[in-house]
Amino acid sequence: MRGGAPLLSRHAPATLWGLGAAARVFRKERVRPLTMVMAFDDPTDMPDEALLVLYANGDAGAARALTARLAPRVMAHAGRLLGSRAEAEEVTQEAMLRLWRIAPRWRPGEAKLSTWLYRVTANLCTDRLRRARGVALEALPEPADGAAGPAAGLQDKARAGALHAALARLSARQRQAVVLRHLDELANPEIAAIMEISVEAVESLIARGKRALAADLSARRMELGYTDDTDT
Amino acid sequence: MTRTPDDLDMLEDVFAAARRAPPEPGADLLARIEADALWLQAGAARPSPRLLPAIAGWRAALAEAVGGWPALTGLAAAALAGVWIGISAPAGLAGLAQAMLGTPDAVYLVDLDPAVTFEIAEGGG
Repeated sequence: MRGGAPLLSRHAPATLWGLGAAARVFRKERVRPLTMVMAFDDPTDMPDEALLVLYANGDAGAARALTARLAPRVMAHAGRLLGSRAEAEEVTQEAMLRLWRIAPRWRPGEAKLSTWLYRVTANLCTDRLRRARGVALEALPEPADGAAGPAAGLQDKARAGALHAALARLSARQRQAVVLRHLDELANPEIAAIMEISVEAVESLIARGKRALAADLSARRMELGYTDDTDT
Repeated sequence: MTRTPDDLDMLEDVFAAARRAPPEPGADLLARIEADALWLQAGAARPSPRLLPAIAGWRAALAEAVGGWPALTGLAAAALAGVWIGISAPAGLAGLAQAMLGTPDAVYLVDLDPAVTFEIAEGGG
């Protein structure tokens, strides 16, 4: 809450809910049940859109929660589309800046925040690629401050690096579709919304992209620790 | 080039490995993003920039406190009207001024019957 105020009375959530409900009725939105208010105490349970509204209303804690939640996803997506850590960091900061700027105008229920953010990220990456005229062919370098997750072993990193190099050789649209599906793990309808194409077009891009990746990586299968027995 | 089931299985495994090792933002990047958010948030609370160039100094601060140059114009008009009323007072006002301020033995209104204040205002004794 604002400034970490510890002295909220126990009636404050109900009052806030009442005011919020009145505002929502006035704006003809669905009024949420009281249980949603309990999430004020634990921002990690709140949906992204609700946190964004809190941020737009001046809640500094919401800014921290949204950064912690969304920046890693944007960074991962940009890193895989661009193949360059430095470029991905700049795109991440720019995409989040656009999110902060649009927050006061965000209308809940109109679009999913993640869809919008993925689209902004991809557009920023496309702009960068057009300016750079190509993607760096080397694999994504190791994070400088050891920011890789605890589950990532050396072999995982090597395989991820090989995948990034192979992704760089796909067309931009195939790369985006494959990354959204198999690395961001989104469903095809949401991918279609992000890329503004049909679900069938998404499936076609993914199928062609995976064929190209499999062919590319099969040349390195021994190096990546895969045997012909496929016992891994 | 035909794909084999082995190749696609391997690809699925490589995808899983890449999911476990995503590019991650460093602490300094997260700090910059948060700083952007808080700066913009503070900016929303600041008054929006004016179209007229800012005039430095206490006069501008006074004008801004009152509510801008148009409000100051209104204040000036009200002040002038007050001076005019004082100089060329309407008839009833002279009696009120006499009763409130002019009499040497001033009556403390608070000590009197409340109705007396209305009689004094009407010019009665």
